[in-house]
Amino acid sequence: MPCSSFRSMLFRFGFAILLAAAVVAPAKSQREPDKSAQQLVDNSIDRWNRMSPEERERELAKLPPARARLIRQRIQRYNQMNPDEQQALRGRYQTFSQLPPDRQQIVRDRLREFRQLPVARRPVVHAEIEQLRLLQEAQRQARLNGDEFRARYSPQEQQIIRDLYTYLPN
Amino acid sequence: MSCPIENRNSEMLVAYAASQLDPEAAGALERHLADCAACLSIAADQTAVWKALDAWEAPPVSPDFNRRLYRRIDQGMPISWWQRLTRPFLLMPLRQALPLTATAGLLLMAGLLLQHPVSFTRAAAPLNRVVRAEQVESTLDDLDLLRQFGAAASTESGHPDAM
Repeated sequence: MPCSSFRSMLFRFGFAILLAAAVVAPAKSQREPDKSAQQLVDNSIDRWNRMSPEERERELAKLPPARARLIRQRIQRYNQMNPDEQQALRGRYQTFSQLPPDRQQIVRDRLREFRQLPVARRPVVHAEIEQLRLLQEAQRQARLNGDEFRARYSPQEQQIIRDLYTYLPN
Repeated sequence: MSCPIENRNSEMLVAYAASQLDPEAAGALERHLADCAACLSIAADQTAVWKALDAWEAPPVSPDFNRRLYRRIDQGMPISWWQRLTRPFLLMPLRQALPLTATAGLLLMAGLLLQHPVSFTRAAAPLNRVVRAEQVESTLDDLDLLRQFGAAASTESGHPDAM
């Protein structure tokens, strides 16, 4: 019957539109993640801050007093950070925490080594990593394998640069 | 022939009145009608109905009947803009209105989905509300490392305090 087939076609058209929207919408949201969605991801300190004072003290009481006192001070310092700085740090930590555990450990080790570098060398090494991120893959490989790179950085610094560039996304 | 009323076959009498029986069946029924007053009465009544329907002729509907009807309704009672808007749908049979309404609803949902995409990748909510102090300490260590690395970009003599 023509009327019945028209209704059926109309309904199918509407359903197809809905289906297309359901497919497109999540893809769109993944392509363009909004900052507010990223802010929703809590780290353990955010969850700690939401616990009641009694719950926090109960947990801290399980540790030696000096260690508990140090944690209290560090959390206080974190909570008192400049909001923009804290937001940026939260973003970096979120990226880091999404790495597989083995890569997290590599990054952790390199960051500790980075911290042990002479004070004057840290900005140089950091700038090199940032510079590498701006290059095309071919240029990057050429730079990493070049004589200048080897001459400019110690083997330990070279390893820090390679691993942090590779495993710690910007 | 057996009696159509006794056999609960009154459709045969209706078909006879409408001249839809083949000649052989019609002849058999006419012979039965000669002996059965009840069947004869029903057949006669049904024939009268058909004859009346055949004789009746419906007056033709003028082409602007709907327009004139709406005008008369409008003159008779004031109606709101909303009633004017929905009147075509109210006059529409339910079987036509339902798919239209459903399609409109689907399109509306599609529009809302595109406007406010639902995130299917929400972070899982922590099952345990209580966080252990060691876990916090470990996070603070990682945050410290990341902060010191980030601070190296802006501080030449950078030795930021630990958290």
